[in-house]
Amino acid sequence: MSAGTLTRLDGPITFTLPVRALALLGVMTASVILLLVLSLMTGSYPLDVPGVLSTLFGAAPSETAETVVWQFRFPRTLAAFCAGALLALSGATLQNVTRNPLADPSLVGVSQGAGLAVVAAIVAFPELPQVLRPALAFAGALAVAALIQWIAMRRTSGATMRFILTGIGVAAFISAATSALLTYGQLDRAMSALGWLAGSVHAAGWSDVAVLALALAALVPALFAASRPMAAMRLGPEMAAGLGVRVVRARVALITLAVALAAAAVAMVGPLGFVGLVAPHMAHRLARSGVGLHLAHSAMTGAVLVGAADLAGRALFAPVQIPAGLVTAVIGVPVFVWLILRTQGRSQL
Amino acid sequence: MTTGVLPRHRSLVWAGPAAGIALLLLAFGWHISVGAKTIPLPTVAEALVAYDSSVFDHVVIVDLRLPRAVFAVLVGAALSVAGALMQGVTRNPLAEPGLLGLLIGASFAVVIVVGVFDLASPALMPLVAALGALVAAVAVWGIATAAPGGATPLTLVLAGAAVTAFLGALVTVANLLDEQTFEELRVWLTGSLAGRRIEVMWWALPWLASGLAVALATARQVTALAMGEETAVGLGMNVGRLKALVLFAVIALTASAVAIAGPMGFVGLVVPHAVRLFVGQDYRLVVPWSAIAGAGYLLLVDIAARMALAPVEISTGLVTALLGAPIFVWLVRARL
Repeated sequence: MSAGTLTRLDGPITFTLPVRALALLGVMTASVILLLVLSLMTGSYPLDVPGVLSTLFGAAPSETAETVVWQFRFPRTLAAFCAGALLALSGATLQNVTRNPLADPSLVGVSQGAGLAVVAAIVAFPELPQVLRPALAFAGALAVAALIQWIAMRRTSGATMRFILTGIGVAAFISAATSALLTYGQLDRAMSALGWLAGSVHAAGWSDVAVLALALAALVPALFAASRPMAAMRLGPEMAAGLGVRVVRARVALITLAVALAAAAVAMVGPLGFVGLVAPHMAHRLARSGVGLHLAHSAMTGAVLVGAADLAGRALFAPVQIPAGLVTAVIGVPVFVWLILRTQGRSQL
Repeated sequence: MTTGVLPRHRSLVWAGPAAGIALLLLAFGWHISVGAKTIPLPTVAEALVAYDSSVFDHVVIVDLRLPRAVFAVLVGAALSVAGALMQGVTRNPLAEPGLLGLLIGASFAVVIVVGVFDLASPALMPLVAALGALVAAVAVWGIATAAPGGATPLTLVLAGAAVTAFLGALVTVANLLDEQTFEELRVWLTGSLAGRRIEVMWWALPWLASGLAVALATARQVTALAMGEETAVGLGMNVGRLKALVLFAVIALTASAVAIAGPMGFVGLVVPHAVRLFVGQDYRLVVPWSAIAGAGYLLLVDIAARMALAPVEISTGLVTALLGAPIFVWLVRARL
C-alpha cells in the first residue's frame, strides 16, 4: 500500500483502488440502509420491516404510520446522515491539511463560532428564516477559524500545539459568550437555542434535509477536486511545494472548505461533538486508501456514527430523548484519549 | 534557593499586605453597596459594625448581600490558591482546576448525588465534590503521564479537555433525564454566587481552611519543587509526600469552591499569574497573595456580572470565563 501512495498522484485514482477499500464502501452503504430502516422502525409508534417498506413505497398500513415515517423519522434520519457526513469530511480535511491528528471542528472552535452566530441570530431576530442560518453559521465559523489561525500562526515553531491550545481557549470564550447571550435573551427564545446547542436532529424536517443535501452537493465535488493537493499537503508543506502545490493558497482554500462543511452541519442540527475527530480515524483503521477514497470512507463513517448516535439517543432512555451530540461526545472522548496516548510521540505536536 | 525573602520584597512584606487587605475591604464594601438599590458605603459599614434590624437597608445588607460577598471572597481565594499550587507542582503555566478537569469532576459528582440519589444534604456536598475532583484529577494526570510525551502542558490540557467534554456530556444527559431536580442545579452549573444556602458555606469552610493551611505550610517546599524535581530532591525533600499534601490541598480547596458556587473557570489561572508578576516565584508570597487577590478579583467580577446587563444578571462563572479565556490564549502564545 505505502508504495502505491505516491504513484497514485500521477494517474487517475480509480486505476489503483484497492479491493478492500471498495468492499468497505459497500459494507458502509449497507450499514447506512440498515440504520435507516431501523431508525424508521423505532419510536413510540413501533413499526415492523414490512410496515416501513410499504410506507416508503406509498402503501402505508395506517395514516399514523404515514405521518410518523414521512413527517418525522425519515427527515430526521436523513438529516443525521447528512450532518455526520459533512462533519466527518470537515474533520478529515482539517486533519490532512494541518497534519494534526486531533483536529476537529468542535475542538478548534469552529463549531462554537457557528453556534455563537446562530444563537445571536435566534435571540436577537427570532423571525429570521431558517434558510439564512447556514450563511450566518458559516460567517461565524470562518471568523473564528481565521482568528485561531491568526493567533496560532504568528510564530512558526510548535505551531500545531499552539493551534490546539488556542482553539481550546477561544472555544471556552465563545461558549461563555453564547451562554451569557442565552441568559440575556428571553426564556422561550433561549430555550429553542438551548435545544439546538446540544446538537440534536430531533426537530429536523424536510427543509433542513434540503439545506444539508444542498451543502453536500455543492461542497463534496469541490472537496474531491481538491483531493490531490490535499494528498500532497498530507506529506508536509515542503513536500507539497516540491510536488507543485501552491501551499498557502491550497491551505487557505481547504480550511475554508472544511469550515464551510462543518458550518452547514452545525447550522442545521447544532454542534455534534467529536464526529469530525472520530470518523476519519475509524475510516483510516478500517481500510487504508488514498485521500479520495478515505474521504468517501470518512463521510460514510460519519453518517453511520451520527445515525447510530441519534437512534441510540432516542431508544436508550425512551421516552426521554438524548440529543445525538451528547451520544457522539460520550463515544468520541475515549477515542480522543486514545489518540492523545498514541499519536503524541510520532507526530510531535 | 533563598532562605529569606529577597531584599526588594522586604518593603512589600508589611506595606504590601496592609494595602492589599485595605483594597480587598474596599472591594468588599463596594460589592455590598451595588445592586438593585445602591446603598452608600457608610451605611454598609454601619450595618456591619452596628447592625440594627429595624433599618431596612441593614436587613438587605446582612441577609442578602453579605452572604454573596463572603461567598465571592471564599471561592476566589480557594480557586486562586489551588491554581497557584497546581502551577507550581506541575511546573505548568496552564494548570488550573477548571482546565485540568477538577471543576467538572466535582460538579459531576454533585449532580449525580443530588440528582440521582436525591441527597442534597449540605454536609455531604464538599465531600462529594472532593471525591469527584480527586477522580477527575487522577484520570487527567494518568492520561497525561501515559501519553508518549509525558505530562506536558499540552497533554495535561488535552486530557483535561477530554475529561471535561465527557463528564459535561454526562451532566447534560442527567439534566435531560430529570428536569425538575436539575432546575435548581442549572444555574449553579454555570458558576453562580446567587441564591446559595448559607449552610453549604459552613460545611465547606473546614475544607477550605484545611486546604489553605496546608497550602501555606507547604509553600516553601513548593517553591523548591517549582524549580525542578531534581532540585527538590537535592534539597533533601520528600517529593512524594509533598505532592500528596499539595494534592489534598488542591482537592479540598476546589471542592469547597464548587460546593459553594459551582464550577468557576479560569479564576485559578488568571490570579496566580497576575500575582507572580508582582511578587515573583516565591510561593510563600504567591500563596497568600493569591488568596487576597483572588478574593478581590472575584468580588470585582461579581460586581461586573451584576451590573453589566442590569437588571439581568449574568452568571459569575461566565464572566470569569470571558475574562480568563483570552488570558489563557495569551499565555499559550507567550509561554509555549
